[in-house]
Amino acid sequence: MMENIQATLHKGPAVEASRPIKMTSKDVIVHYGAKQALNGITLDIPERQVTALIGPSGCGKSTYLRCLNRMNDTIDSAKVAGKILLDGEDVYDPDIDVVELRARVGMVFQKPNPFPKSIYENVSYGPKIHGLAHSKQEMDEIVHTSLRKAGLWREVHDRLDEPGTGLSGGQQQRLCIARAIAVSPEVILMDEPCSALDPIATATVEELIDELRENYTIVIVTHSMQQAARVSQLTAMFHLGDLAEVGPTEKMFSNPDDKRTQDYITGRFG
Amino acid sequence: MSDATANGIADTAAGRKPRRDIGIKKRYAAERRFKAYGIIAIAIGLGFLVMLMWSIFSKGYTAFWQTEIQVPITFSEQVIGTAEQANDSQTKLLMANYPQLARDGLIQLLGISADDKKAVSAANGLISSGTRVTLRDIVMNDLSVIGTTENVWLYASSELDSALKGQYDLNVPENRRPISDLQLEYIDKLEQQGAIEQRFNWGLFTSGASSRAETAGVGVAIIGSLYMMLIVLVLALPIGVAASIYLEEFAPKNKFTDLIEVNINNLAAVPSIVFGLLGLAVFINWFGLPRSAALVGGLVLTLMTLPTIIIATRAALRAVPPSIRAAALGLGASKNQTVFHHVLPLAMPGILTGTIIGLAQALGETAPLLLIGMVAFVADYPSTPLDPSTALPVQIYMWANEAERAFVERTSGAIIILLGFLAIMNVSAILLRRRFERRW
Repeated sequence: MMENIQATLHKGPAVEASRPIKMTSKDVIVHYGAKQALNGITLDIPERQVTALIGPSGCGKSTYLRCLNRMNDTIDSAKVAGKILLDGEDVYDPDIDVVELRARVGMVFQKPNPFPKSIYENVSYGPKIHGLAHSKQEMDEIVHTSLRKAGLWREVHDRLDEPGTGLSGGQQQRLCIARAIAVSPEVILMDEPCSALDPIATATVEELIDELRENYTIVIVTHSMQQAARVSQLTAMFHLGDLAEVGPTEKMFSNPDDKRTQDYITGRFG
Repeated sequence: MSDATANGIADTAAGRKPRRDIGIKKRYAAERRFKAYGIIAIAIGLGFLVMLMWSIFSKGYTAFWQTEIQVPITFSEQVIGTAEQANDSQTKLLMANYPQLARDGLIQLLGISADDKKAVSAANGLISSGTRVTLRDIVMNDLSVIGTTENVWLYASSELDSALKGQYDLNVPENRRPISDLQLEYIDKLEQQGAIEQRFNWGLFTSGASSRAETAGVGVAIIGSLYMMLIVLVLALPIGVAASIYLEEFAPKNKFTDLIEVNINNLAAVPSIVFGLLGLAVFINWFGLPRSAALVGGLVLTLMTLPTIIIATRAALRAVPPSIRAAALGLGASKNQTVFHHVLPLAMPGILTGTIIGLAQALGETAPLLLIGMVAFVADYPSTPLDPSTALPVQIYMWANEAERAFVERTSGAIIILLGFLAIMNVSAILLRRRFERRW
C-alpha cells in the first residue's frame, strides 16, 4: 500500500521552503457546545500551493477548514478561539467583514451544490453581488474565463442558459469551482470535493486543482490518501482534534515522523 | 482484516443448512393487511365525499334555473304617470304600483275577468312580487316605454317555481299544499301558450339578500367575500412570510423564540369563534370600526390565517437544502442576500400553496363573522370594504334557516358556488406550484 501511494506521488516541483505564507493559524481551538473539536492547531499554509488535510473521520479537518473562511459562524453552537491570519490580518478581527473575507477565501463543498439556476447565473452570482462587473460584456468575460479555468467551457459553452443542476456530478463540481473562481479569491478551500464523484470525474477535478495551483492557494480536505499524494505539496495529518504532523507531501507518504501518520497512511486505522 | 473476511466467506459456504423460518409469510400477510386497511379507509372517505357531493348537487343544481313567465305589460300612464311627469319628479315613478301592471298583463294573458276576485288573486300568486323592481328598472332606463305594451319575462313566484321543479307533492289535498288547483290550471294554460320557461338564473349570482327566494342571490356575499380575501391576502401574506423568514433564518434559537413558536402553533388550533370575539372587542369596540364591514371581517380572518401561513412558510423554508445556503454564504453573500436570492425563491411554491390553503380556509369561515355582525340582511352592494356586507358561508347559513322550499335549493346552490370558488383556488394553487417548480 505504501508503495502504491509513493508511485502516485506528485512529480511536480518539490515544495519550496521559501514559499511565502498565505494563511497561518495559531492555537486554534473550536468547541461545538461542550464538545471540543480542535485542540489548538498551529499551521502555516503556503501561497500558491495545495495543502492537503488528511486524517480519520471526526478528526477535525473539516472543522479547521471551515474556520479559515469563518463558515463556522453559521453554526450557533460553534465557538472559535485562537488566531487565524490571512496575509497577516486576523480574520476573526471585528474590523474584518465576513462577507469580504469569504470573497477572498472561496469554498467548494463536499457535495456539488450548484444553485438551481442557469449555468451562467451560477457563475455570475458572486461577481454580481460583489459588484465586480460593470457591464454585460465584463460579466460575460468573467463567466467565460471562470468556466475556462474550471475546464468546463468546452462542455457547456453552447448551453449556458440551461440549469446547472442538469449537469453530471463531476461537471456540477467543476461548475462550483468556476463559481468560486469567479469572485477572484486568493484562497480556495475544498472540503472533500471528489467524495461524491466517480473516478473519471475525480481525475478531471484533480487535474484542475493542479492547474489552479498556479494562481490560487488551495486547501483541500480529503479522505483519499492517493488524492492527497497526487495533488498536494504540503500535507497536514489531523488526529482527534490535534495536528499530528505536517510536512512536504513526499516526505509524509514516504517517511513520516509520527507513528499515527504512519499507521493512517498504511491503512491501519481510519 | 483480510483474514476475517476469508473466515466470513468460509462460514457462509459451510452453513448450507435447511432454510430458517424467518417469518416471510407473516411479513407479507401483515403487508397485505395494511394495504387492505388503507384501501378500505380511502373507500370510506371517497364514499362519504360522493354522498356529500351527490346530496348537494342533486338538491342544488335546480337553483341555477329559475321559472319565468312572459307577460305582455302595458306601461299605462294612469298607473305610472306620463313621461313629462317623470321628468319633473321621480317620486311618482318610484312609488308607482308596478305589481298592478304585472297583474293586469297576466289576467289578460289568461283571459280572466278583472271582477273575478278569487281568480285574480290566484293568478297574482303566480308571479313574484319582486316584479316591482324589474318593471321599475325597465321604465327608469327608458321613459319612452310609457304608454306602450311590451312582452316582459317576469320571475315566477317561488311556489310556482318549486311546483314546476317537482319539489311539492301535488297529489295531496289542495289545502295542504301552497299551490291551488286553480293555479295549476293556469300553469297548464301558460305552458300551452309557451309563456312559461325555465331560464338560467343570473339573479342568483347578482342579486343581494331578499326575503323572496326568487329574487335572492349571493351577489353581495360574493363581493363581501372578495373584499375579505383581498384584505387577508394583502395583510397575511407579507406579515406571515416576513415573520417566518425572521424566525427561521435570523432569530437566535433560544427559550424566547421557542415560546413564540409554540404559541404560533397553538394559535393555529384556537377555535375561530374566539378570533371573532377578539375582532368584536378590538376592531369594533376599541378601534371603532363599523359593524358588518368586510374590513373587520378581513382583519379577523387575517388573524386566523396568519398561523397557517407562518407554519406553511417555515416548513417550506426548512425544506430548502442547507447546501444552497452554504453555497451562497461561501461565495460571500450576506445572510439577507442568501435568503432573498436563493432560499425564498426555492420556498415560493410551498409558501404559495400554504397561502392559498389559508385563504380557502378563511373563505369558508363562518363563526367569527357571526360575532362581528356580518350575519345581516344586506340588499345593496357594498361600494367599499367599510360598507355592510355579508360573506358566502354566512349567506348559506342564513338561507339554511329559511323555511321555504325554494331556499333549500338556493342553500345548496350557494354551497355549489362556494365549492366552485374553493376549487378554483385549489387549482390555481396547483398551477402556480407547477409554474414555479417547472423552472428547474
